[in-house]
Amino acid sequence: MINKFQLSVISAESKVFEGEVENVLVPGMVGDFLVLSDHAPCISSIRPGFLEFSDGTSKKQKYFVSGGIVEVTNNMVSVLVDLAIEGDKVGKEDILALISEIDNKLSAGDTVNIDDLGLRKNDLEEALKQA
Amino acid sequence: MPNLKDLKLRIDSVKSTRKITKAMQMVAAAKLRKAQEQAERGRPYAEKMRAIVSNLASSVKNTTLDNKYLGDGGDSKKFLLIIATAERGLCGGFNSSIVKLAKTRIAELTSQNKEIKILTIGKKGREQLNREFDSLFIGHVDLSNEKNITIETARKISIDLISRFDNGEYEVAEIFYNKFASVISQIPSSFKLLPVSFNEKEADTGNVSFNFEPDEDEILNEIIPKSIATSIFSVLQENAASEQGSRMAAMDNATRNAGEMIDKLTIDFNRSRQAAITNELIEIISGAEAL
Repeated sequence: MINKFQLSVISAESKVFEGEVENVLVPGMVGDFLVLSDHAPCISSIRPGFLEFSDGTSKKQKYFVSGGIVEVTNNMVSVLVDLAIEGDKVGKEDILALISEIDNKLSAGDTVNIDDLGLRKNDLEEALKQA
Repeated sequence: MPNLKDLKLRIDSVKSTRKITKAMQMVAAAKLRKAQEQAERGRPYAEKMRAIVSNLASSVKNTTLDNKYLGDGGDSKKFLLIIATAERGLCGGFNSSIVKLAKTRIAELTSQNKEIKILTIGKKGREQLNREFDSLFIGHVDLSNEKNITIETARKISIDLISRFDNGEYEVAEIFYNKFASVISQIPSSFKLLPVSFNEKEADTGNVSFNFEPDEDEILNEIIPKSIATSIFSVLQENAASEQGSRMAAMDNATRNAGEMIDKLTIDFNRSRQAAITNELIEIISGAEAL
């Protein structure tokens, strides 16, 4: 029996998911990580990618997230995302739209965040392959 | 005494005014419900965001880390006032109450010799401030094309604010808006948007020490623009709900006043009609008597 914990995925405009899960795979800024119950408290930023979790009974649930922040505190995981689309609903065009947004920023001469934007673009292209 | 035809015309015109205000009231009621629902949906995100920022700030508090976005802005010289009002009028005291609050603050800051800049959101507030303070304006956000407020709008405003902050255009940003207390009561309020100050009450986890990935500073730089966008988003949502609530109350009043006016005019009308009839009768009777 694996212990369960609370997961809530919230976007600015609505609550995307809330419930008990056994594990959640978070696309962290410095690498993917898996959260199980009794995980040490942590706060991490999220890069664009897929958030996966399962509640032990039904099959894995998958959401595409475009970036955000995750907070893990005593068996409560809160994922705040800018945009979340259910895994089977995400189309390539959604991701392509985000990529072209970044391209626009790059061509508009946004030099301050050039490294950042480059990384984001890589992440998105990676996600595109998975979609 | 005005003649019958004039009275009739006036009654008709007040009646059509009443129709318009009644319709506006109903439209505002429908929009209010929508705005409230939207605000309701956005609340969990905003609350969690505030909690995370407070948790972060509390764990950073005792370290040597000095993030430029954190602080209490105590002895700052340059202030930016963000004044969020509506795009449309006919909503009672909604716009003027925000402007009034902002003006009090401007007077207070001026007396302390602070440098003030103003950013307006919504046309109505700008129009009211234009005469006195147009030299302080540094920007304006037009919401007239936004049917519903989206987080994107808030994000754009926050990016603009952050870049102005980074350029040293201001040290403290305060935002003015109408807080939605209930349908009949909206409270003009303001709070400090930047720099973010630590709020003990909102940190919900006590003294847990967090692991940060990548590290505190980078997370702060990432999360603070987001939390500002969220704050602006909730301000705009509260404002939208308040505007509709205020308009609904104002239009309800107007409808009632129009009703009273129609009653009064109708009495006048009937009285003059009766007077005309009596007059005619007197003329006929006295004519008959004369024979």
